[in-house]
Amino acid sequence: MNLIGWTLAGACGLAGLGVVAALVTSARARPVVVGGCTAGVGVAGLLAGLGALSGEVFHARLPALLPLAGVQVAVDPLSGWFVAVIGAVVAVAAVYGIGYAGHGHGPSGRGVQAVLPVFAVALVLVPAAASVSTFLVLWELMALSSLLLVVAEHRVRPAVAEAGWWYGVLTHVGFVAILLGLVIYAAQAGGGSFTDLRAAHLSPGVRGLVFVLVLVGFASKAGLVPLHVWLPRAHAEAPSPVSAMLSAAMVNLGVYGLIRVGFDLLGGATRWWWLIVLAIGAVSALYGILQAAVARDLKRLLAYSTVENMGLVFLGLGAAGVFHASASPALAALALAATLLHVLNHAGFKALLFTAAGSVLRATGTRDLDELGGLRARMPATTVLFAVGALGAAALPPGNGFVSEWLLLQSLIHALPAGGAVTAVVMPLAVAVVALTAGLAVATFVKALGVGFFARPRSATVSAARESQPVMLAAMGVLGLGCVGLALAPAALGPALSRAVGTATGTPVDVVRGGVILRLAGIASTMSPLLIVVAVLVAVVASAALVRLVAGRVTRRRAARLWDCGAGPPTVRMQYTATSFGEPLQRVFDDVLAPQIDVDITPHAESAYLLARVAYQRRIADRVEHHLYTPIINTARRAGELGRVLANGSVHRYLAYGFFGVTGLLLVLAVIR
Amino acid sequence: MTDISYPQYLDLAAGLFLLTAVGVLWRHQLAPMIRLLGIQGVALAAIVAILGIHQHSLELILVAVGLAVLRAGVLPLLAWRALGEAPAQARETRPVINTAASLLAAAALTLLAYAVTRPLVALAPSPATAVLPVAVAVVLIGFFTLVTRRRALSQVVGFLLLDNGITAIAFLATSGLPLIVELGVSFDLLLVVLVLQVLTGRLRTTFGSTDLDELQELHDQ
Repeated sequence: MNLIGWTLAGACGLAGLGVVAALVTSARARPVVVGGCTAGVGVAGLLAGLGALSGEVFHARLPALLPLAGVQVAVDPLSGWFVAVIGAVVAVAAVYGIGYAGHGHGPSGRGVQAVLPVFAVALVLVPAAASVSTFLVLWELMALSSLLLVVAEHRVRPAVAEAGWWYGVLTHVGFVAILLGLVIYAAQAGGGSFTDLRAAHLSPGVRGLVFVLVLVGFASKAGLVPLHVWLPRAHAEAPSPVSAMLSAAMVNLGVYGLIRVGFDLLGGATRWWWLIVLAIGAVSALYGILQAAVARDLKRLLAYSTVENMGLVFLGLGAAGVFHASASPALAALALAATLLHVLNHAGFKALLFTAAGSVLRATGTRDLDELGGLRARMPATTVLFAVGALGAAALPPGNGFVSEWLLLQSLIHALPAGGAVTAVVMPLAVAVVALTAGLAVATFVKALGVGFFARPRSATVSAARESQPVMLAAMGVLGLGCVGLALAPAALGPALSRAVGTATGTPVDVVRGGVILRLAGIASTMSPLLIVVAVLVAVVASAALVRLVAGRVTRRRAARLWDCGAGPPTVRMQYTATSFGEPLQRVFDDVLAPQIDVDITPHAESAYLLARVAYQRRIADRVEHHLYTPIINTARRAGELGRVLANGSVHRYLAYGFFGVTGLLLVLAVIR
Repeated sequence: MTDISYPQYLDLAAGLFLLTAVGVLWRHQLAPMIRLLGIQGVALAAIVAILGIHQHSLELILVAVGLAVLRAGVLPLLAWRALGEAPAQARETRPVINTAASLLAAAALTLLAYAVTRPLVALAPSPATAVLPVAVAVVLIGFFTLVTRRRALSQVVGFLLLDNGITAIAFLATSGLPLIVELGVSFDLLLVVLVLQVLTGRLRTTFGSTDLDELQELHDQ
C-alpha cells in the first residue's frame, strides 16, 4: 500500500466514523463532528488525487468485499485529477456546512448528517473504481445518498419533494442506461475489470451501442439537455453545502465517466460518437446560459450556469474526440486539457458561488433576486467572494474560467487545417457557440452580482441581513483564494494536466508549458494570465486616478437632491430588477424562451385613460420540459388510470387474474409443446 | 404389496383425491365441503403411504401419518369450528358460477392438466408420474374454487385443495421430500388456516357477513 492506498482507506474509515458520530452525538455537537469527518474524507481524496497526479499508481483487488464480483480499485492520473477536484470541493463544502447547519437553520437532523459522509466517500471513490461492478455499486451509492441529501428539507418546502422526484427518476434512467451499456460491454469483452474491457475487440456496432448508452447515462448525471430538467430543481432545492457538492463535484463524474469509457476503454476512434457529444454540449451550453440569463432565483441561476459549463466541457470533449478520430493528437490533447482544466475551474467558482448564495439565503431567507439588493454594505466579505466567483463564471480575463475557455477556443480555432469537411464546418460553429455563451454569461453574472448585491435592498428582510459566521467565511475564502490562484498561475498545473491527458489518450504528451507565459504544445499560441491581470489592474487604477484628477479639478462638490422630474423622490421599486435586466435578452431570444407574459391594466373607475394599476407577470417555463416530459408524464398517468380500472377492490377479481394467468400460460404451453 | 397391485392402489387413491376435489365444487353447503376436504386429506395421506410402502421408506410412512393427522384431522376440525360459529344462513355458499358450469370447468381443467403434464410424464414414465396429472388437476380445481366461491370459509377450503394438490405433486414427481421441508410447509399451512379462521371471525363481527364481495370498499380511489 502506498500513499494513495492509505489515504483512500483513511477516507473510508473517516466516513464510517462520521456515520457513527452522526448517529450517537448530540444535536449540538453533530454538525461539527460530522462536518470534520466529511472534510477529512475530502482532504484524504485530495491527497490521493495529488499523489496520483505526481505519478504514483495504485491498484487493489478486494475479492471478499462484494459477493460474486469483488471490488477492484485503481487510481491513475486521470482518476487522480477527478479525485483531487472532488476531494477539494467536498472538504471545503463540509467545513462550510458546519456553519450552515450549526444554528438550527438547515439540515442538522440525524439522518441527513449520517448520509453526508457516505455521499462524500462515494463521490471520492467513484473515479477510483476499476471494474464494472465496483463502478456501478459506487455510482448507485452516490446517486442514492445524494437523493437523500437533496430531499433533506422536504418538510419545509413542498418544492423539495418535487425536485426529489425529478432527480430520483432521471438519475435512475441514467443509471439504467449506464448499467445496460457496461453490462453489454463486459459480456462482449468476457470480463468485468477495466483491464479486460480495454483489451476487448468489439464489432463497431456493439461499440457504438455501448457508447450511446453510456453517453445517455453520463449526460443525465452531468445535466445536459434534454436530460437536464432535474438539475435546476435539485441543485436549487438542496441545502447550500450539498448544492455546492452536487454542482461542483457530482456533475464532474459524468465527464469522468465519458472520458474513461469513451477515450480510455473504447479507444475513442469513431468520429460520429464525438460529433454527437459536441452537438449535445453546444445545445446545453446555449440553452443553459439562456435560462440562467432570465432566471430570477439565485440558486436556479447558478444551477442553469452548471448546465452551461457542463455543456462547454462536453463540447470540448466532443472536439477532443473528433481530433482524436481524425488523427491530430496535439489538438486532441489540447482540447482534452482545456476540458479537464475547465472541470477544475468550474468546480472552484461554482462551489464558491453556491456557498455564497447559501450565505445570502441564510442571512435573508430568500433566493429571489427581485427581493435582494444592497447586500454590499451588509455582507461585504460575501459580496467580494461572490464577485470573485462571478468573474470566473463570466469567463472574463482576470477570472479563472477565462483560462480554460481560452484553451478551448485555441483548440477549436486551430482545427481548420487539421480535419476534413466535417471539421471545417463544425469547428467554426463551435467557436461561435462558445463566444455567444461567454457573452451571455457576462450578462448573467453582471445581473446576479449587480441586482443581488449592489443598489438598495428591495425588501425589509434584506435590510436586516448580517454577515455570515467566520467558519463559513473561512471556507468561502479558501475557495476564493483557489479561484484567484487558478486564474493567476494555471501553468503550475501543466505537468499534472499532461499526465491526466496522457492517460486518457494513451500517448504521453506535454500540453502546457511555461511559468508566467503559457505556451501550448503543437500550436503557436501563448498567453500570460498574470500579465493580463497586471495590465487590467494598471488600466483600472490609471483610469480611476484620471477620473479623480479630472473631477477634482472642475468644481467643488455640492450635496443636493437628485433630480426626479417632479415625480417625487425615486423609490426602491424603481431600480433595475433581475426581471427588467434580463428583459432585453428575453426579447432577443423570444423564440427560444417563449415566455408567458400577462400585463393586467386596471383603469380608474372615472376614466379609462387614467391607470390605477398595472400588473406585469412573466413566467418562463423550461420548454424542453414542457414539450418532452409533459407528454411522457401524461401517457404514464393515463396508463396508471387504466390500471386502476383493473383493480376494483373485488378479491375474486384479483384471484381470477391469477387463475386466468396460470391457466392461460398452461394452455399456451400445452398447445406449443 | 406386490408390484402388480401397487399402480392399482395408487390409481385408486388418486381417483379418490380428484373425486373429492370435484365434489367440493359440486356441493353448495359448507358442511359437506369440509367433510370432503377431510376425505381428501385421507386420500393424500394414502398416496404418500402407498409410495412409502413401495419404496420401503419409513420416513415417507411417518410423513403420511403426519399428513393424515394434519390434513384429515386438524385442518378440517379448525374449519368445522369456524363453521360452527356461523349463523344458519351463512352455512350455504353462493358460487359466482353455477354448479353445472363449475363441473364443466373442472372437466376442462383436468383435461388441461393432462395435456400440460404430458412432457413431465414422458420424462420418467412410472406408476407415480402417471397420476401426476391428477395432482395438477386438483391444484387447478382448488384455484378455481378460490376464484368462484364467495364465503371466506369456502375460500379457505379452496386454498387447502390447492395446497393438497401441490403436496401431492411434490411427492409424486420427486422421490420424496426432505422431512424438514414437509414439516415447514405443514406448519405454514396450519398458521395460514389459523389466521384465516381469525379473519373470518373478525369479518363476521365487523360486517355481519363473510361474503368477500363486501370488501370492495377497500380499494384505492
